[in-house]
Amino acid sequence: MSDFDHSAIDELLQSRVRLAIVAFLASAGQADFSLLRDAIKTTDGNASVHLRKLEDAGYVAMEKRFANRKPQTTYALTERGRKALLDYVAHLEALLPPKKARNK
Amino acid sequence: MNEDAVRDDIAFIRRTMEQGRRVVGAWGPDVLVWGIAIAIGYFGTYARVRGYWTIDPDWLWLACILLPWAYTLRRLPARLFARQPDAPAERGLASPLAMQWFACGIFLTILGLATIFSGDRDPWWINPAVAGVMGIGFFASSFLSNVAWLRWVGIAWWVGEVALFALRQRPEAFLLAGALMLVLLAVPGFVLMRGRRECP
Repeated sequence: MSDFDHSAIDELLQSRVRLAIVAFLASAGQADFSLLRDAIKTTDGNASVHLRKLEDAGYVAMEKRFANRKPQTTYALTERGRKALLDYVAHLEALLPPKKARNK
Repeated sequence: MNEDAVRDDIAFIRRTMEQGRRVVGAWGPDVLVWGIAIAIGYFGTYARVRGYWTIDPDWLWLACILLPWAYTLRRLPARLFARQPDAPAERGLASPLAMQWFACGIFLTILGLATIFSGDRDPWWINPAVAGVMGIGFFASSFLSNVAWLRWVGIAWWVGEVALFALRQRPEAFLLAGALMLVLLAVPGFVLMRGRRECP
């Protein structure tokens, strides 16, 4: 039996902002804070709060570095985060009626 | 959760992921470096064939193949030593794109090294073959990354393949291959790099 906690997925990814962060990073690979904030169309504070929650859950990894002497914070999806997103999508798809039934 | 809400959630994830794919321009710098390096290899070979210089092009090609690989694989050690579950996933779900180019790179490197070490000095088919593989790479990338203009780059490579075949066994083939590397590899790499900064 998988040790993955489904109630934890729901709690973390049911927020649209957190779901957007995870989905964006899943396809982008990694993104710096400003790119991510603009992509999910939110404020600095809101993005920070949600990123912290995802980071605490181990869904995203943060890296701080300097680019041209300016601090830059980069986020990437972790394997745990990627699995959570895939499980969440699978969970959503399972809630839909089978294709045959939908086509009727 | 009703059916409409579920569909809405799935559509939202799909839209966000499409937005993220546009950032896949992260491979722009690598494409730029490879385009310039291989173009130098071709121009050097042309110069040698024409007698403009006397340096053995095999050494030039070794440098033009190995140095871009060193650049492309610069982050590999960090990835190999960061295998914990909380470590960054290698490329997220964008890994098919990276792996596709990695496979193309392996194929072309084997082809290039085989030519160098076999001493075959008349491999007329290699230039069209390289152009064909580049066409496949760009065409497939356009669908993997949702960057539509890349498919036209792929098609342009295939047109270049035909032109290289027409010029086979003529020194100008090296000149054309070098120009294709600059225009259809280095320039797209530069554009992808720029697009990454401007995205989304």
